[in-house]
Amino acid sequence: MNKKMSCALFALLIAVASLVSACATTGGGEECPISPDGAVKAMPAGTKDFPMSELPPPANEADRKYLGLSGGGNFPVRQIKAQVVIVEVFSFYCPHCQRTAAQINDLYRMIEARADLKGKVKLIGIGAKNSAFEVDAYRERYHVPFPLFPDEEMVLTEKLGVKGTPTFIGIRMAENGAPRQFYFGEGGFADNQKFLTEIIRLSGL
Amino acid sequence: MKGWNRRVGGMVCCLGVLALMAGGGAAYGQSTGFTDNIYPVGKLKPTDSVPRLKVGDVAPDFTLPAVQGGTVSLSQFKGRRNVVISFVPAAWTPVCSDQWPGYNISRKLFDKHEATLIGITVDNIPTLYAWTKQMCNPGEKLWFPVLSDFFPHGGVASRYGVLRSDGVSERALFVINKKGIVTYIDVHDINQRPFLDALARALEEANRQ
Repeated sequence: MNKKMSCALFALLIAVASLVSACATTGGGEECPISPDGAVKAMPAGTKDFPMSELPPPANEADRKYLGLSGGGNFPVRQIKAQVVIVEVFSFYCPHCQRTAAQINDLYRMIEARADLKGKVKLIGIGAKNSAFEVDAYRERYHVPFPLFPDEEMVLTEKLGVKGTPTFIGIRMAENGAPRQFYFGEGGFADNQKFLTEIIRLSGL
Repeated sequence: MKGWNRRVGGMVCCLGVLALMAGGGAAYGQSTGFTDNIYPVGKLKPTDSVPRLKVGDVAPDFTLPAVQGGTVSLSQFKGRRNVVISFVPAAWTPVCSDQWPGYNISRKLFDKHEATLIGITVDNIPTLYAWTKQMCNPGEKLWFPVLSDFFPHGGVASRYGVLRSDGVSERALFVINKKGIVTYIDVHDINQRPFLDALARALEEANRQ
């Protein structure tokens, strides 16, 4: 083995070791899922408790019904009637969120069209640093069919450790105890079907 | 590949913006070329100019070149439309593309109040061309004119009392009614984005005056 080949082998070993280490530190098990288009890597955050934050009341009765909420007022995420909740942290001001709004609407429709997922997997959006007025404007502009909530003071956004929009978070709901976060993906994804398959696989649904 | 770059470009802008909004300013692990184009200015003095206008004043007229071509004068809207002037500090800076993309999907709000939006920065036209292009979907343009207050540098910003000591403008909003009178001024903290709610209320007020 010549010197050049030794160096290449050594570099390869370092790269593999780094990858294994990165997965291990995120607690994600034996593999790091990569978003379907390969453009944006989504590393599993490991499962951890979803922050105990309340969301404001849904904007309308249809949203309330979709989420399975009975009372009025603010509500904790754990009250959402679902087995898995996908959270999109978005912003009214984010061009990438705007460009992919129709795609995320399609994701919602894809879930609702599948008998094995409807009612079990639900989708919500949280507007980072957006007022209720801005979230309403975004909903209207893009005809968003799933519930959107403002996070004007970035309370939940900061607790979730979100650094940019859009970010997608997967939560597995629990019969008892706090919901568990099992997925944290920054940037978005190109293929709804592949994303959904990955969410289902990681959630253990 | 081209489309992907555009998409990621917009994405990275948002990611960078939010990192700053969150007060973290932490390095963000996106390694695309676009990330490197956003210049990290850090936290700045909230405002750094001397006001020259107050509500009730006649808005100074101006004529500036537009990135879309030609020139735009404030006086061309007198008697016809309310005008919102949005000064933003500079292209390619944090909070960067973070304000006008929201206005770009809010045309209905401006039309509802018979208002025209004008964006102004102290950058030159080629810079504004590249910067505003990444705010839109491929093949689309901002619906409102973006004007260059580059030469004489910051001349209009100075007359409106929003030219900072380092040569960029404040993040400021002016509403001017159809009579050409200033009805609303928000010289905002340069580090923060103004909420759309306040501007919507100001536009309602402009139509009452």
